[in-house]
Amino acid sequence: MNYTTIITDVLVVGAGLAGERAAIEAASHGLDVIILSLVPPRRSHSTAAQGGCQAALGNCAMGEGDSTDIHFNDTVKGSDWGCDQDVARLFVETAPKAVRQMALWGVPWSRVVAGKKVLPDGREIEDKKEKEGLITARDFGGTAKWRTCYTADGTGHTLQYAVDSVVIRLGITVHDRTEAISIIHDGETCLGVVARCLRTGELRIYLAKSTVIATGGYGRLYGASTNAIINEGTGMSIALDTGIVPLGNMEAVQFHPTGMVPVWILITEGARGDGGYLLDKNLHRFMPDYEPVKKELASRDVVSRRMIQHIRKGLGVDSPYGPHLWLDIRHLGAKHINTNLREIKNICMNFNGIDPVKDLIPVRPTQHYSMGGVRTNIDGAAYGLKGLFSVGEAACWDLHGFNRLGGNSLAETIVSGWIVGRKVADYTRGAELNYSYSLVQGFARKQQERIDKLISGLTGRENVYEIRREMEQTLMDYVAIFRNGPDLQKAVDKFQELHRRSQKIGLRSGGKWANPELTAALRLPGMLRLALCISYGALTRTESRGSHAREDYPKRDDVNWLKRTLAYWKEGADLPELRYEPVKITELPPGDRGYGESSASAAGGNKAN
Amino acid sequence: MQAHKLVTRNPRAELYYDLVELLTGVMLVGFLWTHMIFVATILLGIDVFDALSRALDDYYLSYTGIPIIILVFIMHVLTAGRRIPTRYQEQKVIWRHAKMLGGTDTWIWVFQVITGAAIFALASIHMWTVITGWPIRAVTSADRMHAFWWFYLVLLLLGEYHAGFGIYRQFVKWGWFPRKPLGYVTKMITAIILTLGLAALWVMYKLGGAV
Amino acid sequence: MNKQRKFSIFRYNPNTPEIKPFMQEYVLEEVPGMTIFVALNKIREDLDPSLMFDFVCRAAICGSCAMVINGKPRLACKTLTSDLKGTITLMPLPVFRLIGDLSVDTGTWFRQLSLKTEAWIHSEKKFDPEAVEDRMDNRIALEIYEAERCIECGCCIAGCVTANIREDFLGAAGINRVARFMVDPRDERTPKQYFDVIGSDEGAFGCMGLMACDDNCPMQLPLQSQLAFVRRKMLAYGLWGK
Repeated sequence: MNYTTIITDVLVVGAGLAGERAAIEAASHGLDVIILSLVPPRRSHSTAAQGGCQAALGNCAMGEGDSTDIHFNDTVKGSDWGCDQDVARLFVETAPKAVRQMALWGVPWSRVVAGKKVLPDGREIEDKKEKEGLITARDFGGTAKWRTCYTADGTGHTLQYAVDSVVIRLGITVHDRTEAISIIHDGETCLGVVARCLRTGELRIYLAKSTVIATGGYGRLYGASTNAIINEGTGMSIALDTGIVPLGNMEAVQFHPTGMVPVWILITEGARGDGGYLLDKNLHRFMPDYEPVKKELASRDVVSRRMIQHIRKGLGVDSPYGPHLWLDIRHLGAKHINTNLREIKNICMNFNGIDPVKDLIPVRPTQHYSMGGVRTNIDGAAYGLKGLFSVGEAACWDLHGFNRLGGNSLAETIVSGWIVGRKVADYTRGAELNYSYSLVQGFARKQQERIDKLISGLTGRENVYEIRREMEQTLMDYVAIFRNGPDLQKAVDKFQELHRRSQKIGLRSGGKWANPELTAALRLPGMLRLALCISYGALTRTESRGSHAREDYPKRDDVNWLKRTLAYWKEGADLPELRYEPVKITELPPGDRGYGESSASAAGGNKAN
Repeated sequence: MQAHKLVTRNPRAELYYDLVELLTGVMLVGFLWTHMIFVATILLGIDVFDALSRALDDYYLSYTGIPIIILVFIMHVLTAGRRIPTRYQEQKVIWRHAKMLGGTDTWIWVFQVITGAAIFALASIHMWTVITGWPIRAVTSADRMHAFWWFYLVLLLLGEYHAGFGIYRQFVKWGWFPRKPLGYVTKMITAIILTLGLAALWVMYKLGGAV
Repeated sequence: MNKQRKFSIFRYNPNTPEIKPFMQEYVLEEVPGMTIFVALNKIREDLDPSLMFDFVCRAAICGSCAMVINGKPRLACKTLTSDLKGTITLMPLPVFRLIGDLSVDTGTWFRQLSLKTEAWIHSEKKFDPEAVEDRMDNRIALEIYEAERCIECGCCIAGCVTANIREDFLGAAGINRVARFMVDPRDERTPKQYFDVIGSDEGAFGCMGLMACDDNCPMQLPLQSQLAFVRRKMLAYGLWGK
C-alpha cells in the first residue's frame, strides 16, 4: 500500500505560539512551510496563558531601571542555575524586541496610564507622564522588577491570535487535526514524519528538509494538571522513539501554586502579582512566615513547596478532594477583579460557583509546565539528527533549567520561535531532501502494523484508559512536588509494568477511522516512556534543584549535579539510558537564589552527600 | 463597459435595501400608531370621529397621505420581503432552528414573517374596501366593523404585533438603545395602542349593530 | 447515592454514511460539580470508547467544545449537568461540517472567515527592532481587547438564523472580528476597504437583529453593540463616504 506523500521545505509539528512563530520566520525567508496540529491553531494551549510575557522594557513605575541584565539574573536564579546561560542571555536580549514586534502585529498590550496609584500593601507609586502609552508590566514571581507585559487577562490568547493572523496573511498551510506519530529518519538526517489524520484515521507521509517539533508539554501525564488535554507530550515521545535524539532534564516538572480545586484549572500568577494572598485554614497569611522578602511572589517551585509544607503541618483546609489552601483576592476590589482579572472571575464562577470578589478560592499546587523536552543547542537544532529542530515547551533549549519563571514561557515562544525559525530557514536553504523510497514507506508501514495489531485485538485485553489512570495516579503520588528514593523506585517499577501492559492493549470499539480510543492507544506507550524518563531521571538525580525537590537529598549539589540529564531510549529497552552533560555557566556562578529553603546553605556548593 | 455595469451590482445596493426597509418600516409604524389613535377618537363620540375625518379630507391630508402610505407599504414589502426564505430547504432550516433553539427572538422572527405575509393580504383588502367606500365616516366604518369584526380583530392583532416587534428589531440592529429596556418600551407602547384599538373596535361594533 | 442522569447523544460518522444518524442513550451517575466535559469523558472511558467529541483547554478559553446542549449552543466544558433538567440532549453545532458525533470542523470555517475579512493588521509600517514601540492609549487597548476576546467557538454562528440559511454570511463572530480592526489605530484600512468586506448582506446587512448570537455568546461579548457599531459605520461610509 502507498501512502499520500506531501513534500515541503519546512514541516512544523504543533501550531501553538512557538511553532507558528517559527513557521512565519521560515515562510518569510521564502520557504514552503506546512504546519501540522492536533487542533486548529487558535485552540492551542498557548491561548490559555493568561498572565503575561516577560521582557525588560522598564516602562511602568515598578519596572523603572529594569534591564536585560536583571532579567538574566532572575532567569538564572529562577532556574536554580540549571539553565544554559548563553541561551538565557540571547533570550533576555531578544525579548523586548519580540514584544514590540507583537505590538506591531496586533497584540493590544496593556499600556502605561500615568498617575499615582496605591498598591494593595500600601506603597504609593507613580507612573510618569513621559511613559504614558508605552507597554506596561505587572509583577510576577521570582522577578526583581515588574517586567511581565500583559493584555488584560488574555495575554496568550491575544498573542496566539496575532501570530495566527500573520500565518493566515502569509498563506501558510495548516493541516489541523493531524497527529505526527513517528519521525522518519535515516539515522543521521530527519526526513519528516508519519502522521495520522484525526478526521479520517488515514496515515500520511510528510517529507521535509527540516522538521520542527513544537508540540508543547506533557502535563497531562499527571492526574492533576493545569494543562489542556492535548498536552500529552506527543512530539517529545516521537523524538525519543528515534533512539538517537535525547530528551533533556525530564525530571524538571513545574507545579503551579494555584490550580483551582477540584478542576485543576489555573488561576494565573497575575492574581498574586496583583496583590493576592495565600491563606491557611485559620485564614492566616502564611507565606511571609516562610519567605519574608518575596512572600507569595517567590518562584513557583518555592511557593508550591511552602504550600505543601504548610498543608503537611495540618494547616490545610479539608475537602473531599484532599486538603487545600485559599487564594484571597477580595481586597483588590470588584473593579480590578472585573477588568484585569476577569478571566479568574469567570473561571471561579463557571467551574466552582464562587465569586472571587466576595469568596476565597480553593487552590493547591498543580502540575503546570515541563522544563524538560527535546534537547537542542542554542540554534534550536535537536541533538542527534540533522534537520530536526524543536521550540517552545516541547524543547529543552534550556532557558528554564529546573524552574521556569512565570511569564518566561510566553516570552520563550515568541523569542525562540523567531530565533530558531531563522536558523531553520538558514539550514533549510542549504539542505537537500534525499531519501530512499523504501525507507520512508517502511516507517509508515510500521505505524500501519501497530494500528492493524490494535484493531485486530489479538495482542491482549488491556484497557487503555485503566492503564492511563494508573500512570496519572502514580506520577501524582510518587513523582510530584516532594520526591524520595523509595517512592521514585516504586514509580519506576510501576511504569515499567504499565509499559509492558501497554503493549497488550485491546480496543473495545473497533478502532476504525478517527477512533478516539485508537488515538489514545497509539499515544499511551510513548507517554509511559516519558513517565519513565521523568521518574528514572528524578530517581538518579540525588540532589534538590529548582522544582526537583528530594526529601532524602534536600540540598543543591553543584559539585556533582551541575549538569543536565539526557535521556535516550533504545528500541526494545525498558528503561531510558541516562547520560549527562555540563551546564554552561558564563556570567553568573551558582549562588544564593535569595528565596527558597536550600538557597542560603547551598551558596558555594553543598557536600551533604 | 456598459455591459460590465449591468452585471456588477451596485456595491451599496444592500445598504440601500436595508435603509429603505428601516425608513419604510418606521414610517409604517408611525402611520399605524397615528391611524389607531385617529380611529380611537370614536371613543370620544361619533362627532369627534367625523370631524377629524372631515378635517383630514379638507386639508387634503387623506388624498396625499393614502397614496404615499400605499407606496411606502409596497416598498416595505419588497425590501423586508427579500429576507423571507424562498426555498423550501431554507424554510425547513428556519423551522428546525426555531424549534431547536427555542430562542424567543428567533420565534418572534418566524412570526414576523408570517404576520408580514398575512398583513400584506389583509391590509390590501382593508384599503380596497375603505377607498371604494369613500369617504370615511363613523357610520360606514361601524357597519364594516360590525359585519367583519373578526377580520378587523385579526388585522389589528397582526398589525400591532408586527409593528411592535419590527420597530424593536430595527432599534436593536442599529444599536440606538440597549436591548432589554427597548423591548420593554416597545411592548408597553404596543399594549397601549392595542387597548385603544380593541376599545375602538368594540365601540364600532356596538354602533354598527345599533344602526 | 447520587442521581442517575440520562444522556441522549447524536451519533453519526460521515465515513460510514450507510449508518444513518441516530440518538444514543447513556445513563451516568451524577457526581457533584459534574460538567458535560466530565460526563462525556466518563461515557467514553467506561461506556463507549468510540464516541467522538472535542475538548482542549476544558476551561472555557479555547472554544473547542461548543455543542448544542438541550437546544442551546453552549460550551460543554463549563456547562454543569446540575443546571440542566431531565434528559440531557447533546447535538453537534449546525452550520459547521460534521467530523463525527459531536465533533465539528470549526477550524476550517474560521480560517475561511479570517481570509474573507482579512483579519490581520494592515500596515505599511516596517518593524524596527531597535525602536521603542508606538504609544497607544490604554483605553483603546482595552477596547480592542474587548472585541478580541472572541474565542471562535461558533455558538453565535450555530444560533444564527441567517448563518443557517446563508452559507456566505459572516455572522456575529465575523462582524465582531472586523469591528476589532476598525477600532485599532494600527490598522490602516480605509472605510471603503471595510465596506467592501462587510457592507453587504454577507456581512453587516445580513443580520436580521434576532440576537441569538448575543444571547448565546459564552464569553458575553457585547455582540449587539458590536454589530450595531459596524452597521452604523457602514451607513456612514455608504451615505457620506467616511
